[in-house]
Amino acid sequence: MATPQAQTKPWLESRLPLGAAWRANVSHYQTARDQPYLATLPGLILGALIFLALSGAVLSLFYVAAEGSAFHSIQFIIRSVNFGWLVQSFHTTGTTMLFAAVYLLLFRAILGSSYKGQGDLVWFLELKLFIILLLTGWLGYVLADGATSYWSLHNAALAGARLGGFPGAIADWIFGGPAGPGTLARMAVFHVILALLLLAVIGAIIVAKRVVAPPVHRNPVAFHPYYTAQYFAAFVIFALIFAILVFFAPHLGENHLNLAAGNPLMVPALLTPPWYLLPIAAIGGVVPTTLGGVIAVIAGLAVLYALPWLDRSKPGASTGFLYKLLVFILALDVIALALAAAAPPSLVTAILIKLFIAWYFLHFLVLTPLTSATESK
Amino acid sequence: MRRTLLVTAALAVALLTHQARAEDTLNPPHWQSEGSFGSYDKAALQRGFLVYQTVCASCHAAGELHYRDLDALGFDTAQIAAIASNVKLPTGPATADDRFKNPYPDPAAAAALFGGAIPPDLSTIVSARPNGTRYVYDLLIGYAPAPGDVTLLPSHYYNTAYPGQQIAMPPPLKDNQVSYADGTAATAAQEASDVAAFLTWASDPNLDARKEIGLRATLFLIFLAILAIATKRKIWRESV
Repeated sequence: MATPQAQTKPWLESRLPLGAAWRANVSHYQTARDQPYLATLPGLILGALIFLALSGAVLSLFYVAAEGSAFHSIQFIIRSVNFGWLVQSFHTTGTTMLFAAVYLLLFRAILGSSYKGQGDLVWFLELKLFIILLLTGWLGYVLADGATSYWSLHNAALAGARLGGFPGAIADWIFGGPAGPGTLARMAVFHVILALLLLAVIGAIIVAKRVVAPPVHRNPVAFHPYYTAQYFAAFVIFALIFAILVFFAPHLGENHLNLAAGNPLMVPALLTPPWYLLPIAAIGGVVPTTLGGVIAVIAGLAVLYALPWLDRSKPGASTGFLYKLLVFILALDVIALALAAAAPPSLVTAILIKLFIAWYFLHFLVLTPLTSATESK
Repeated sequence: MRRTLLVTAALAVALLTHQARAEDTLNPPHWQSEGSFGSYDKAALQRGFLVYQTVCASCHAAGELHYRDLDALGFDTAQIAAIASNVKLPTGPATADDRFKNPYPDPAAAAALFGGAIPPDLSTIVSARPNGTRYVYDLLIGYAPAPGDVTLLPSHYYNTAYPGQQIAMPPPLKDNQVSYADGTAATAAQEASDVAAFLTWASDPNLDARKEIGLRATLFLIFLAILAIATKRKIWRESV
């Protein structure tokens, strides 16, 4: 016997309570008043990821994941598929927007030290998002099969094959040995798997952020229409920046040399990845050996993971002026590191890269504990 | 009366031929496609294609391009069919749906012909070089006698624009190597400028559509952004 209440509900609502979920999480969800526009970043990241999944799905209909064919298939998409150039440009520039949003998200989390206390899980999830995004971004870069993509893949696969032991086994599992005609098909599969994983991680971030948000004691507002209006405005501004880049600077932050086909007989003069991989590539390239490079990258990411412990301030204490100043300097340091890594190799850039990396580690391992401990007194 | 008519006719012909000629884009070198709102000059592209087909195509491939793509230069179907049928492929005359002819059966044949220096594919040469249009132009007019302290490699030429200054390609362009249908004087610099314009189109064939859609999309989104922010503010004003 169905209860009378179940009978009054519509057919779908009684089986799948979408309306109740909408009321609980959007229309009647009570939230604090003074959230800035940049608090919409997780939502923008989710939107960018869905957009990239859709444009990537269209590209995958025409893309041929095989060495020697991949570059030509992308050229075919750009030149011969109706509006293929637009979808291809959506995908590459969408990546730029996504990375910009994630870098900004991490910057805001460090600046506001939101990794402290209950925010630690959100911080770890954001780092997980960042790391998976770096891998997905690299795989997408490799799938372009241009001159620098080709050598990035071959160097990585060869380094993986040389590693030996447990790390070598992982590399072998991913690359299947040194790069050959079939490697790109594997890379395409991992690109898709990791992209789907990113959707799950950003979903977890949005849920976890709400759970640990401080309770609103006085004068809350409903999410709808107040924050839906704010989200809409943020999305439009995000889309405006995106449109300007897509239509007037479609190759922003890319290495020009990657717009020629990969050539097994010719290594390009400048083997730099797109802008979003430059800092991590510089950290990985600073140690001459393969294993050393892997350890350097892991160390560069591990200091971010260790931030809740490196910050010695008391729980609930607000961040001080010096700490915030140092975070801004850190952001400039990472940008300078990317610029130095993108420049043609020379003695000066080699020294600058080492200095900027040294400052990066100094910031987390020495300056953060010192300033947070002194300023919270 | 007759004299006046003759002078008028001569003036009209002079004016018309003058209009048909290219504007002076060489001093200083510039291309119509440059800048945020630049678009392609189809007359320059057609002249550049003539130079490409007469000179470049004998040694360089442009395998990403099809003859059908030439309709973007303002050629009609019959003209494209005529252009393609003049190209002899191993299988017979080319058609509009064939890719631009590769002069070599394989890279090894090209390497054997030129002592290992394989002429690069020109499909994306402009976008694959920083400031590519200007680079192609500078390279094509950059040949000079080698300075006294430079010893050239065997079968290499001194070129001020090429990285390392020693290039295996012999100077490809000279004055009046082609004769332009629109009456433009075919100086080597004009040919270089036109072929640079053509190769810019070859690298980025969607530039015109991209900027046109981009302008509309940007204006629309600016309007929508103003509207969205105004709406948001109005909604928040009503919250107490």
